[in-house]
Amino acid sequence: MSTIIACSTGHTTNSAIAVIRVSGKNYFDSINKFFSINLSKLKPRYAYFCKIIENSEVVDEIVLTFFKGPHSYNGEDILELSVHGNRLNIKRIIDLLSSNTGIRIAKPGEFSLRALNNKKLTLSEVEGLDLLLNANTIFSLKQGFSLLSGQLKKDFNDLYDIYLKHRSSVEIGFDFLDDLGEEQFQKEINNSFNGLKNIIFKLHSKVKNQREQLIRPDIVLYGLPNAGKSTLFNYLLKDERAITSNIAGTTRDFIKEDLYISGNIYSLIDTAGLRVSNDEIESIGVKKALELTKDAFFRIMVINPLEFNNDLINQMKSNSIDLVVFTHNKNKGFDNSLSKILKRLRDDNIVGTKLNEHPSSAPIGPQKTGPIEPSDSAPIGPQKTGPIEPNDSAPIGPQINGPIEPAKNPFNRGFSYICCDLLSDDQGIDHSIFNLVKDKFERNLNFDPILIERHCDSIKVIYNQFLEYEESFENLEDLAIVASELNILGDCISELIGIVSPDDVLQNIFKNFCIGK
Amino acid sequence: MIVLRGTGKLMFDVVVIGGGHAGVEAANIASQFQNLNVAIITLPGVGLASAPCNPSVGGVGKGQVVRELDALGGIMGKLADISGIQFRTLNESKGHAVRSTRIQIDKLKYSENAELLMSQYSNLSIIKEEVKNISGENNNFLVETKSSTWNAKKIIFTVGTFLNGKLHTGAVTRAGGRVGCDATDSLVDFFKDINTLTARFKTGTPARLKNTSIDYESLEEQPSDASVSTFHVLHGTNQRFLSQKSCFLTYTNEKTMKIIRENKEKSPMFNGQINAVGARYCPSIEDKAYRYPDKNIHHVFLEPESHELSTVYPSGISSSLPKEVQAEMVNSIPGLEKAEIEEFGYAVEYDVLDTTQLDYTLQLRSKPGVYFAGQVNGTSGYEEAAGQGFIAGANACLSLKEKEPLILSRNDSYIGVMIEDLVSNVRDEPYRLFTARSENRLYIREDNTCLRMFPYRKKLELDNQIDAYLNRFGELFSFWKTFLETTFINPNDRFLMLYDMKVPRRTSLADIIRQQKGLEIKTLQEFFVFIGIKEDQRLVECLAISIKYEGYINKSTIAKERVDRLNKKKLDLDEIFNSENISFECKARIKKIRPETFGQLKQIQGVRQATLTVIASNLK
Repeated sequence: MSTIIACSTGHTTNSAIAVIRVSGKNYFDSINKFFSINLSKLKPRYAYFCKIIENSEVVDEIVLTFFKGPHSYNGEDILELSVHGNRLNIKRIIDLLSSNTGIRIAKPGEFSLRALNNKKLTLSEVEGLDLLLNANTIFSLKQGFSLLSGQLKKDFNDLYDIYLKHRSSVEIGFDFLDDLGEEQFQKEINNSFNGLKNIIFKLHSKVKNQREQLIRPDIVLYGLPNAGKSTLFNYLLKDERAITSNIAGTTRDFIKEDLYISGNIYSLIDTAGLRVSNDEIESIGVKKALELTKDAFFRIMVINPLEFNNDLINQMKSNSIDLVVFTHNKNKGFDNSLSKILKRLRDDNIVGTKLNEHPSSAPIGPQKTGPIEPSDSAPIGPQKTGPIEPNDSAPIGPQINGPIEPAKNPFNRGFSYICCDLLSDDQGIDHSIFNLVKDKFERNLNFDPILIERHCDSIKVIYNQFLEYEESFENLEDLAIVASELNILGDCISELIGIVSPDDVLQNIFKNFCIGK
Repeated sequence: MIVLRGTGKLMFDVVVIGGGHAGVEAANIASQFQNLNVAIITLPGVGLASAPCNPSVGGVGKGQVVRELDALGGIMGKLADISGIQFRTLNESKGHAVRSTRIQIDKLKYSENAELLMSQYSNLSIIKEEVKNISGENNNFLVETKSSTWNAKKIIFTVGTFLNGKLHTGAVTRAGGRVGCDATDSLVDFFKDINTLTARFKTGTPARLKNTSIDYESLEEQPSDASVSTFHVLHGTNQRFLSQKSCFLTYTNEKTMKIIRENKEKSPMFNGQINAVGARYCPSIEDKAYRYPDKNIHHVFLEPESHELSTVYPSGISSSLPKEVQAEMVNSIPGLEKAEIEEFGYAVEYDVLDTTQLDYTLQLRSKPGVYFAGQVNGTSGYEEAAGQGFIAGANACLSLKEKEPLILSRNDSYIGVMIEDLVSNVRDEPYRLFTARSENRLYIREDNTCLRMFPYRKKLELDNQIDAYLNRFGELFSFWKTFLETTFINPNDRFLMLYDMKVPRRTSLADIIRQQKGLEIKTLQEFFVFIGIKEDQRLVECLAISIKYEGYINKSTIAKERVDRLNKKKLDLDEIFNSENISFECKARIKKIRPETFGQLKQIQGVRQATLTVIASNLK
């Protein structure tokens, strides 16, 4: 196995320190000439100050740490060079150490691949590491770490165990019925079936919502042209990024900026105004806006009540809205128009609640988009507007495993709204909005969602295959067919756990790594 | 006793040592090759293909093997049919794919018939003498018996439990492979380079009861089922050759189990006298008593052994307890209160070959020309033995004829499943076929055996009656299958009205059959009656069940394809052996088996998950 080198810290911008890693075996002799100290005398896990030398010229002064395999991150002998973090400097040192030394530049994820090969990390730990390193939210960080510590793996292994139990109870029916007897067979098969169903439904509840919404949640602003979306966008960012003008349709595509709320990074997206246009570019913008809205984590509709039309009503019917910001409240006729709109919506069973009408101590808003948990549904919030998920949708387990998606029932939907005039005053509505977003996000986390894409996909496949299996299981006409369906389910489960890793699984995982990790 | 038949100077091409179910099957297929001289050398005093344990052929998974053998030109199915005294279908309520035929045999007739059928081969010699010594090498072996020394090009060992066999009844032990036969210890020299497993295996058989001393009055009767198809395809589908007898069912009770538990220290298996490993799936009554202390009710099937014998085989209570305890235990069972024991039960322990030394033709890799088949390979059951005997016999001949070996895939036969399992794993207990061992159970059925086996049978290039049948079966199957799929009838068609079947729109006959869940065969039969065509019942069943399962098989095939793609990838063994990331232990296991694909590697017991992950991630 060749010795590899890469910069393990970010190297796209200059920074104070960068860490370069060398990993392999018996490579000291080939590079010692570039160091001012004798590498073979290094004591593992001690920091040494020394110089990098090229043709008796000092290139850099560095701190050197040696991790001797197998007691290192990936089980090999690792040298860590803390160098000055100038991009040119980093490149120069890497070039130097990899020139005619038998050392080559590492491929993406290669350090971790070696850790996996050397059994320093398991597959799901590697996946956890990936999540950890690329996390945008604290939750991602936490889950990445919990994968690294192997907790999720345990859950998956439980799934595999109970699957095996069920599988064997089915097989007993073919090959050993004489020993077991029909009655005992029925008991075993039904018990283990229920166990399997429980655990699959529980896992599925953790992946029901779109994982992208939790990894990189989008907050989308949309509405008619010139309603004030871009103004709100800039206001929330406290910046003048989107170009605003009085000409409707200024934001033709969409604009995206990072927004930090309580430690998480959201994408705040300003979309093109929703209007039928002959302008091809603008039409594309509208189409894109609707697309973004569909997948958004948090939807904010911006409406000028004085320019309200039926399309908006339809929009509000087809998408569940987290918040409506009614702008231009200083204009004449605002109150009148607003109450007309609210009435029309109410006629369609869409009920708006003004944000500052809530008792200030109660959590605001999120009830409207999530299912109300039995324990805390009573004291707070406008229950009549909050859609309650029918109980039968979650056949097993505690309610907390229920779906997080907005309620399906279109005739019983609510939204919060704020009235403001962003051009003339600041009513502190940014904090109200941020609180709504934060509450919704945290509420979603109560469901302990799973973020790794491969796991989510696998669990969805398992869930769907299970539903098919359930159908043939309940219609026990031919147990051989039942067993065959179960076998397919077993393949899906094996894939999730990584016992059987179909070709591309590993490739995919390592493809997503950044160089040097 | 020696009967010599053959052509030219008697140089044997294939010598089979052992005349049990594996040996007979090996000699039978070898004798079908023209111009090859074949010999069976077996112990004097015992008939060919005798049944020292249960008097039945077939069973779950095993019925499929018997049918596979039959379609390949084997002999077991024929023998079972003409010696059958009770026919049954097992797992009838569990679905066609796992249904299996089992025939209770008249064990005397079975052996007589084996002698008779084998004597009809003009190129098969039968030498009933003990083997004294074997020497030589591939294409030039010498086999020495009492009266002569025989030349042999290939040798097939089907020596059953006779490798270092030891019999136990209570504290009484003696050397031997089974009751009435001495142990075979003369081959020690020849075998000294061949590895046997460190763990010895054991098997057991119950006491035989005197038929007239059993009170059947109160017991549940299981009569022979006249609708069960015979194994051999050239026999009439429901033909019976002997008068039929019933089996009876009784149960152990608290008293029975108490007697066994109180005598634990007298059981050779539990007092340390036997250290061998028995099969978990075929437990002795002692095993059941000690392992499941809460369970006192166990099935006991009373199976007649022969029209001419007075003995009954009580299936489910095999035991090696001392004689007086066996008697007491038997008499505690309802119906057996006054039962007399004709032959006491015993356990046998024996050495087993390490089958990972064999290739897919069951040839010993280290000694070309030497094949092993049957119980000596650690399997249990006549059918498993016969299946191996066939593979070894056919391949010994193919090798002599310098043709491609015959290797059955695990995807389309239970024999293939068994051979692969045997050669790719070190056994830790006696091996028996279960339907669960197959990944492709919906396809490996009894009804479609002819379709599955025809391509393999063709490779032998033996043009017999059976080849003509298989060929015709395949052609008719394709014709009718296409016909049923492409013929659409209206909802008011007379056929549908007559049998009161309803379809919403014009529907293909195949779909109509599919909709009659559980009644597919009946519907197709009715259709043939309706159109006035009398078709082979075996073909009708195969058509109806194939139509029923088609969709499910396709679905499971698609699901398997992804996994298969990985499984089919070739391994770079050098890379694995040179890898620093694979433990010494795993490497040793892999080295022994030398798997070619990732799928075969996965079958190896004891290769760790982590190792699989490492190897999978490095596959090209």
